[in-house]
This record gives sequence, structure tokens and C-alpha cells, in this order.
Amino acid sequence: MGLLSREAWAQRLGAFRASPSAYMAAPEGEDLGRDLLSDLRSEKLSEQTKVSMLALSLEYPAQLWPDAPAAEAAATSLLDTLALLPPRPSALRRPLLLAATTALVTGGVLGPTSGASLRLLPLLLGLASGGDLGRRFGPSSDQRPLQATACECLRELESCKPGLLGGCLGLLRGLLGQEGPVAPVQPLSLLLALALRNTLVIQARARASLQGLLTVRAPPPGGGPWNWTLAQEGEAHLQPQAPSWPAAEEECGLSALEPSPEEARELRAAVAQLLDTSYLLTPVAQAQLLWLLGWALRGLRGQPPVLFKPQLVRLLGTAQLALLHAVLALKAAFGEALFTAQDEALLLRRLTLAAQHPALPLPAHLFYLHCLLSFPENCPLGPAGEEAAPLLLEPQLCRGLLPNLLHDPMALLARLHLLCLLCAEDEQKEEKGQAQSPCHYLQELLAGLQQRAALTGGPRALATLCFQASYLVALCLAGHHTVLAPLTHGLAQLYRARPALAPHFVDLLDRVAPELGEPLRVVLRQEVVSRPGGGEALRWHLQMLAKVADRDAQSATLGFLQAAAAHCTDWGLQQALLRVCRALLRAGVGGGLADLLQALARQLEDPDGRDHARLYYVLLSHLSGPKLGVALGPSLAAPALTSSLVAENQGFATALMVQEAPAPIRLSVGRQRAEGPVPVLQLQVEVLEPVYSLELRFRVEGQLYAPLGAVHVPCLCPGRPARPLLLPLQPRRPAPAQLDIRALYTKSTGLTCYTHLPPLPVKFADLFLPFPKLPEGARLGFFEELWDSCLPKGTESRLCCPLGPQGLEALVSRHLEPFVVVARPPTSYHIAIRLPPDSKLLLRLEAAQADGVPVVLRADDWAVLPHVGDYLRGLSAAV
Amino acid sequence: MAQRAVWLISHEPGTPLGGTVRFSRRYPTVEKRAKVFNGTSYVPIPEDGPFLKSLLFELRLLDEDRDFTESRDSCSRINKTSVYGLKVGGEELWPVVAFLKNGIVYACVPLVEQTLSPRPALISISAVSQGFELLFGIQDFLYSSQRIDTELNTKLSQLPDLLLQACPFGTLLDANLQNSLDSISFASVTHPQKQPAWKAGTYKGKPQVSISITEKVKSMQYDKQDIADTWQVVGTVTCKCDLEGIMPNVTISLSLPTNGSPLQDILVHPCVTSLDSAILTSSSLDAMDDSAFSGPYKFPFTPPLESFNLCYYTSQVPVPPILGFYQMKEEEVQLKITVNLKLHESVKNNFEFCEAHIPFYNRGPITHVEYKVSFGQLEVFREKSLLIWIIGQKFPKSMEISLSGTVTFGAKSHEKQPFDHICIGGTAYLKLHFRILDYTLTGCYADQHSVQVFASGKPKISTHRKLISSDYYIWNSKAPAPVTYGSLLL
Repeated sequence: MGLLSREAWAQRLGAFRASPSAYMAAPEGEDLGRDLLSDLRSEKLSEQTKVSMLALSLEYPAQLWPDAPAAEAAATSLLDTLALLPPRPSALRRPLLLAATTALVTGGVLGPTSGASLRLLPLLLGLASGGDLGRRFGPSSDQRPLQATACECLRELESCKPGLLGGCLGLLRGLLGQEGPVAPVQPLSLLLALALRNTLVIQARARASLQGLLTVRAPPPGGGPWNWTLAQEGEAHLQPQAPSWPAAEEECGLSALEPSPEEARELRAAVAQLLDTSYLLTPVAQAQLLWLLGWALRGLRGQPPVLFKPQLVRLLGTAQLALLHAVLALKAAFGEALFTAQDEALLLRRLTLAAQHPALPLPAHLFYLHCLLSFPENCPLGPAGEEAAPLLLEPQLCRGLLPNLLHDPMALLARLHLLCLLCAEDEQKEEKGQAQSPCHYLQELLAGLQQRAALTGGPRALATLCFQASYLVALCLAGHHTVLAPLTHGLAQLYRARPALAPHFVDLLDRVAPELGEPLRVVLRQEVVSRPGGGEALRWHLQMLAKVADRDAQSATLGFLQAAAAHCTDWGLQQALLRVCRALLRAGVGGGLADLLQALARQLEDPDGRDHARLYYVLLSHLSGPKLGVALGPSLAAPALTSSLVAENQGFATALMVQEAPAPIRLSVGRQRAEGPVPVLQLQVEVLEPVYSLELRFRVEGQLYAPLGAVHVPCLCPGRPARPLLLPLQPRRPAPAQLDIRALYTKSTGLTCYTHLPPLPVKFADLFLPFPKLPEGARLGFFEELWDSCLPKGTESRLCCPLGPQGLEALVSRHLEPFVVVARPPTSYHIAIRLPPDSKLLLRLEAAQADGVPVVLRADDWAVLPHVGDYLRGLSAAV
Repeated sequence: MAQRAVWLISHEPGTPLGGTVRFSRRYPTVEKRAKVFNGTSYVPIPEDGPFLKSLLFELRLLDEDRDFTESRDSCSRINKTSVYGLKVGGEELWPVVAFLKNGIVYACVPLVEQTLSPRPALISISAVSQGFELLFGIQDFLYSSQRIDTELNTKLSQLPDLLLQACPFGTLLDANLQNSLDSISFASVTHPQKQPAWKAGTYKGKPQVSISITEKVKSMQYDKQDIADTWQVVGTVTCKCDLEGIMPNVTISLSLPTNGSPLQDILVHPCVTSLDSAILTSSSLDAMDDSAFSGPYKFPFTPPLESFNLCYYTSQVPVPPILGFYQMKEEEVQLKITVNLKLHESVKNNFEFCEAHIPFYNRGPITHVEYKVSFGQLEVFREKSLLIWIIGQKFPKSMEISLSGTVTFGAKSHEKQPFDHICIGGTAYLKLHFRILDYTLTGCYADQHSVQVFASGKPKISTHRKLISSDYYIWNSKAPAPVTYGSLLL
């Protein structure tokens, strides 16, 4: 785009400011940054236009030159423009310096590799020191403001890159101390204080000494290269840093710095020098200086804060917000070391005074009140970070700080908080004269607020204020019945006078603790149900009732609803009515509600409403209480919708459908019992959360067993031992199997869940059953008979079962005891096992030999042999 | 200690947006630091449009408060300072310092040099008080002289240049913008001596010192057994010192006559160099006794160029200047009112003006008045439902005057008649407006001879005094009235 006229630029800048993002997104945005830089050198544009162009670049450099190369190029161009200015007074020099500084910082290019940085820094330092460079640079009339501006630019660079000026401390001190035609005090003081603070912090973190930084006066500009070492260390530390506030004590870490006596003396001298001339600074700059020096010296060894003392009396007398705030910062930083108990009391009194002084504006009052309740006490008692009345703030001092109805809402709330704190203390002490007690006054005030909120047609802000006050009181005075009882009563009266405030009441009930919430709920319910159901306020009553209705006073509530139903002619009212029904359903109200719902299902005009009433009726008659509660509970998916339908559908979907869930149940197979007609599996069950109505369903792959019945457990709790569950097995073939298990259960929230548990193995041995016990003499014969009967249909096998160290006896007693028919320990055992449905397995175990126990086995079903082999090998491994 | 951005927004009720951004300034280098300091809790500064909308909503300045809106009306959203969190694009921008004054919303966002979650206490954020100072400074600059709209526009148009001087990088250098304006014109002066930053140049011309003491008296009178009347004097001492030299020293002493009321709660201008501890500790927080410090109150200072408020004080005078009662009773369709006012004999009976305004809130227009006054005359503003009793320059010899009458009202129409949320039912007040020149209620005066000036040339010293009423209420004693805690301590 070519050269633009003044008007065109004004228009362009205006369009940009109206919405920078929209402007830059449009095609004309593309060239703005470039055009701006080139037109700054145009001779046709006035200085005023150029200043406004520069002003734009000061505010939106990131939009004009979005990346680092562009920022670097822009800064270079700005510096070139500056160098090209004719040697006469010009309004452009200051903004050009500011703009170049801004571009470097926001583009993130400030550093030793940036050409523009290496040009700008010596230029700024040269200007700031008021040397020859400055004189060459522009006419003498521009010198002083440029000197100040250069200091400001350096300060900004130091703020964004701490340590940048660490090498210039000595130089800056020299400039500040200069006699004769002097540099401007304020910019130099602030620059020195900031550089000093940053240097101390960086050196302390690096555990380095001050290395004579305070005294070296060799100026780097002109010739030598810029010293970036400190800045590079500092860079890592431009991170969230805590101010000089006590809570952040540990993070300060200046104590790591151990200046030598000489360094300590120099440091003290530098600080004293800054403080001595601080009266020459504007009040806001004085405040900045105090914050910086407080930061710099806090925690530093050998630097007693008494240096600040001469300033304090002067500062305490002023009404200046920034100054008093800075004094509080010093108080927080140094505590008793700077403020004796008397000083603390005086500061507190000045603060109390400032918080109510008629000559000060309201925002200042409120800020001082905040400071009062966050006052950095020498000996704090309460928990840190919580607003509280300081110990020295006697009730007598607070008299003028108490709220009254004429106060602005914010002032009223802030002062109300203080009053509540006083009431809390007052209650702890003895009851004094009733009329004067803060609690009594609080009640009067609340009554006044309620009266105002009750005004029909009054602004909502008044109602809001009344509820905010009630909330604050409930919060601060939760246990104070003497305050809460009249408050509850007053709120009930307010509702009676202005039911349209129902949304405020609902909001309040949602937020206050039960100390106020419960009694308030009861009186509000009484308030609503004691009215005839009808009239303009019906929708508010229904909204209120949906919040406060529960099992108590059912008949009155239902009576009210019955009466109200006739007046619910439109969809909104019917919805409101149904919402109350829903609340009652959730609360577990039964009988009367069923009648009401049936009546509504017939009577309501709106088909949707009728359907709904019917649905509720069905739910009420079919679902158990807890389940109903969950079905109608607030849905997580759709928290607040005007129509109950959508919310409900979400709720039903979750509550009435079975949810698939990760199992809170663990099953394991316990020890086998080996008795009775069929094998019975003992299942151990553990749960991680309470589980109700548990049903376990089992299935066996491949029809090895007859179908298994489900097992039911009414209730299981974690940590409470459960009896083993017995699962009878009816094998169709004697073979091990996998049980596939599914669980269906209800959680304590009422949701029904379904889950697939990990499969459980039924081992071959789990199927073993003993033969009936016979008298001693008949056993051998019985065994031989069985042994013979196996052949020829069955099979015989010999194998050697490797034996562990315990020997044969142990093996038998541990695994085969119930099945032993004839025992001749330790050399011979005859074992007979029944394998349902109708097989048998017979074993002869002989005395152990070197390679194991010789086993002869017979079975009437050859198909079991592989299982037997596995079993016997498993035994030896198990022993 | 820096600001990330500053705005001035004119509040325009009834317009679609509710207001217009008249001025805004962003500080990108500060924003860069905010990003680092705030870390993950960083919320960027929005553009003007979204900021305007969100701020006006938060300050309840949009016209849409008909329905309950949780994000604004919820009882747990309690703001106790002029510092807000603004919902912008789903995030909360905090802290936003903002207040409304004379139809303009002043706002800025102070830099917090740490993470914002958890939120640090305001007291620990140095930039908050700096932000207040900046906004107060802008406000003073805009309204330092008579308010005319064109002048306001001129001043608004000067703001960009002024902030370039006073706050080039977001760190405030001088809250006194007038001083910055002057420093532009004084720029060419060379300085052989250390020059205070709060003084742009030096004065050349005839030396003169002007001191004026303005006392405002406020009162709440109830005429009730169980409620104490209250009254208080608030004084402001304004100086303009036209003296040559860079740092002329001046000491002004305020004196009281023998029966004068001690000055308390003294706040001084930062140019005051030292303060007697008796001045620092004299406070209305303590119970009064005879040992109270009663002056002379010495204020040594180095004056700035412009007119400034040397100090503020309060005082508890033994009696209110005018004591009165107001009785109002509803009798069927009309109100019966009786007013009695008595000027205390010690008060100078020579007013610039004296009026009693008797408003009737939450009622219809006045349709009929019958009255009798013992002194002065009564003006009736029917549509405004207001009576003004013009008492004039002097109370009669008896020092006591009265008004009685009946007032009848028409039907209430909401738009026209004044609404008030205090004056409900019988609760009503009358408000006194008066001014007495060359007089202070405390007796406080600045003796010309006690003014010491250490500068070349003998200056001409002029002193002025005046007493004005401010919030001087007399409440209807026949109905409840709002009371302060102090009123209950009989």
C-alpha cells in the first residue's frame, strides 16, 4: 500500500482499534505493520499522526509484528528512524524509544544475538547517564525528558529480563549521587532500586556474592560489550515470584546471600541514598520504591530495616492509598523488626481511620477495610490467608466501621463481614447490654434489609443484597442460634411479602450450610402450604415447594398441590407442579401422592403433563424407594433444564437401565469339601464397595456340566467376611472346566449394574467324591472288588509320581485323605475316588523309591486318564 | 506494580450496549510478564467489546436485571471491594479494579506477579493500590474543573498523550496527570538542583499563598428517646502556593479559639515533610476528653505548583448548628407534617443560603398543599413530590422557625415520581442545605501571621473559610428511621 494521508491513517488506526483481531484477519491487516514503519519516515505526515501511529505500536506490537524476526526488524527500523530525525526538537524521540523497547520485549528478541538490542541498550544507557551521547543525539531541550525516558525504557527491560542492568549498579548509584546539573531523580531511583532488587535475588539464588557490583562504576556503553551474564541467570527466574508477603517467607531465599561487611555497608549506603531522596518522588513512585526495597532487603542478613523508620511517620500521616499500602508491605516484610507493638497499634488505628474517613472515596474505604481484615499482625493467631479482625482491633475502634442501611451495597457487605466477626467474638465473651450488643444491631440491620427487599417493584439489586447479607451471616455465624433464628424468621416473612423472590430463596438454600438451611426449609414450606393454591404467586410457590418439600408435613403439602392443580392451566405451571411431585417422589412420599398423581394423570389439560403424571405414578408403584430416588435424582448429564422431561429422561436412562460397569467384586474358589452326592464348589466372594441384590450367573463351555443355577446374595459389604457361596456342580463328564461368570447387582446409589467377571477354573480334583465309609474289615475286599470291576471295560496305567521332600504320607494326607480306603502307612495306600456322574478312579500308591512313588491306577473310563496324569503331576509339584 | 490495561467507559443506560469505551490502553510488555508470572492461571486481556459487556454486567449496569441470573444475583457472589473477576470467554479475568463515578466507569487490570490460583489476597498485590491511584488520578484530571461535556471530551482526547508521560509502560510514574501535562510545557527548563518529580517546573511571578478551609457538616437527627442524634464536621484545607524557587518551604499553622473543637483524624498531603505525633494520634476513634490536643496544628511542607489539599480533618463539635424535628403522619388521604428548626446561638447567623428540602418518595404527585410557615417561604414542586422551604440568609431573632401543613397526593405513576428504598411507609426525612461564608464550625482558622514561608520575597497571604451542609438529615420522628451503630450508644 502506498503512502497514506493523515486522514487515511486516522481511519485505519480507528478501524484497527475497534477490533484488532477482526482487522488483522482481514486483508488490509497484512501490511499494517510494514506500512506503519515506512510511513513513520514520511515527511508528509505530521508528528501528531506519527505519534498516534507509534502509540498503536506501543499497544499492539504482537499483532503488528507477530514473530521474532519481524519484531527484530521493526525495532531496527524504529531505531533507524530515530537516527534519521533532524537535530531539532521532536515529539517523536520519546515514543520511538518506547516503541523500540516494546517491540524487542514483546517479540522476545532481547538478547546478545539481537542486533537491535545491541544498538538500543548502549543508546539508552548513554542517554540515561546524560553524557555526550545524549548531546549528540538531539537538541538540548530534549535532553531531560529523553534522559527520563531512557531510564524508563531500561527499567522496563530490566523488569522483563531481570539482571540486565546488574553490571550498571555502580554507574547508576554514581548518577544518582551526582552534584550540579543532575539527572532526574525519580526515574534513576526507580531504575536503581529495581536493578538492585533483581541483582540481590539472582545472586542469592546462584549463591554468589555481590562481587563488587555496587561499586564498579565503569560504564559499558560506547565501547565494551554488554554484560549479559546476570540476565542469563535471571532469565530462568522470571517466574511466578511471591511478593514480600509473609506467606511466601520460605520462597524468598535472600538469606542465602552473605555479603561481606564491605558489601553490606555499600548496600546499606545505596538503600539509604535511595530513601533519603525518596521525598522527591511522586507518591506512587515512593510506594514503588518502598515495595522494591522491602523486597530487596527482606531476609537479607546484616540489613536491619531501621533504614525505613525515618520515612514511616511521614507516610502514616498521608491519606495516599499507594503509600499506606506500601507501609503495610513493609509491615508484612519486616514485622517486629520494624514495627514495635505500639507502632503496630498506631498503624492499625490509621488504617481503621482511613477505612472510614469521610474525605476519602468509597473504593479506598473498601480497600482499607480489606487490608484491615488481612492485616499483617506481628503475632497472628488465626489461620493464615483467612480474613479476620486483628487482635488489636478492639470493638471500640470498629464502631464507625459498622454497616447501616444507607451504605452502598459493597460497603454494607464489607462492613457486615466485620460486624459478623465482632458478633462471633462477642458471643464468646459474656452477654452485655442487649440493646448495644453487636448481635442485636446485626438483627436490626438484617430486618431493615429484609424490609427493603420486600418492596414490590423494587430493584433486584436490593433483594440480592439482602440474600448476600443472609449468606454472609450464615457463613460467619453458623453456630450462633441467637442470630440465625431471627434471620430464619425474617426470611420467612420476606417470602410471605414477596414470593417473587423464590429464585433467591432457592439459591440461598442451595448454598447455605444446614444450620440455616434446615430451619429455613421448614418455615418456607409452612409458609407455602398454608396458602390457598392459586393466584399470581402460584408459580413461585411451586418453585419454592419443589426445593423445600420432603416427607414432613405430607398431607399439608399434598393438600396444597391438590388445590393448586386446578389453577395450573398452562404448560409452565403444570411443569412446576410436576416438579414438586417429582421432589416428593424422590423424598419417598407414598400413599397420598399416588392419589394425586392419578388425579393429575386424568385432570391435567396438557397431554405431556398427563403422560408425565402417569409415568410418575407407574414409577411410584413399581420402584423401590432408593431406586426411585436415583431415577429422579438430578442427572449429571443435564444439570439444569427448564423442562423436567429432558433431565428426567437422562435420569431414567441411567437409573432404569442396567449399566455395564467394572466389577467391584472378586471371586475365588475355596477349599473343596468332598462330601455329599454331588461336587460342590465353595466360592469366596469379596467386594470393594457395598453391593446389594447380587446375582451370580454361571455357564460352562461345551456342556460338560448340567446348566448351573444362579447364586443370590442380598448384601455384601467391603471388609465384612462373607460366608462362602456353594455352587453344586452336575458334571455330564468327569472333566475340569472353565466357569464363565456374570454378575448383576445394585450399587448403594441404586443403579443396577452388570458385569462380566474373570472366569474361574473348576479343577479335576474339585469333582472328586469319596465312596461311602465301610467298616474296617470290609474295606480291602471292597477295594479289590472295585479294582477288578474296572477291567476289561476300563483302563490301567502305571506311572511314577515324583515325590517332594515330605514323603508319601504327607502327600496322601494333604490331598487324598478323604478317599483313602485302605492305608498301611508309610508304605502302601489304596485310594478310591468317585467321579460324577458315574465313573471311578482307583489308585495304589506304594512305598517311595528313588525316582518317586510308583502309582498303579485304574479307571472305568479311559477318557479321564489324561486328567489323572495332569493331576498327579500337579500333586508332586504342589507338595 | 504495573497495570496490564486501563479503560474508561461511559455508562449510557438505555442504549443497546449500555455504554461505550471512551479510552483504552494496553501494556504488552506487562502482558508478557503476566503470562510468565501467572503461568497456567494466565487469562489474556480481552478486546474492548467483550470487556465492556462483561464489566457492565458485573457492575450491574446493564438494564436487564428483571430476572434472577445466578452468575450475577447468587447470594454467594459477594464483592466487598471494587475489585472484580470478569467472565470473559469462559475464563475469569481477575483482578479488575473498577468503579463508577459521574457516569464513567474507570477500570484497570493490575499485574499479579505470581500465580492466580489460589488467588492471592489483594493486600499482597502491589499493583492494586497503584491501579486505584491511576484511576483516581484520571478521575481528578477529568473533573478537576467544572464539568462541561465538551471539556470532558477535550480532556479525554488528551489522555493518550498524558498516559504516555505518566504511565508509559504500565508502571505509574505520577498519578497527578495535570502535573504530567505541565511537565510537557516545562520540558525545556534546565535544572541546576534536584527537582521533585511531583513538581514539573518553577513558578515565576508575585509570591502569594492562599489557604482556604472548607468545613462540611453532616447530621442525622431523629428526635427520639432511644436513638442519639449524630453530627460530624469534615474539614478540608486547600492551598495554592505561588512561590519562586525549586523547593520553597512553607509552614502553615491551623489554630482554634479557646472554645474550639479539636481537630481529629488528620490526613495530610504527601508533600508535608513532618508531623507532630499529637496530630498523628488525635483520633475520633477514642472517647473524647479534655486532654485532646487542641493545636496549633503545624504543617511544614514543600508545595507543589498546583492547588492541593494540604489536609483533611474531622471534628466532633458539641452541638449541631441547626437542631430540628420533623413529624409526618399519614391521615387518611393526606400527610400531616410539622417541622421545627432551631439555629444554635453560637453559630454565625448569616447564611449565603439556607433551605430545607422535604421530599416525598414512593407516592404520586402532590395535588394539594395547605401550610403555614413562621418564616421564609415554601415552594412546591408537584411533579417531583418535593417541598422546598426557603429560609434565606438569616434566622429570626428567636432563632427558631416552624412549618406545618398537610399534603395530598395523586395516583402513583412509576416513571415520574421518585422511588426510594429507604423511605418506605412513614420513614421520611428532610434535608438541610446551607452555606455560611467566612466561618467554620470548629472555629478553625489559619492565622496569616502564623504562616511561615522560607522563600525569596514576602508573599501575600490570603485565607478563606466556609461552612457547608452535607448529608444533613432530619428524620420523621413518627416512624422508624435508618440508624447507625453510633446512634444506639446512648
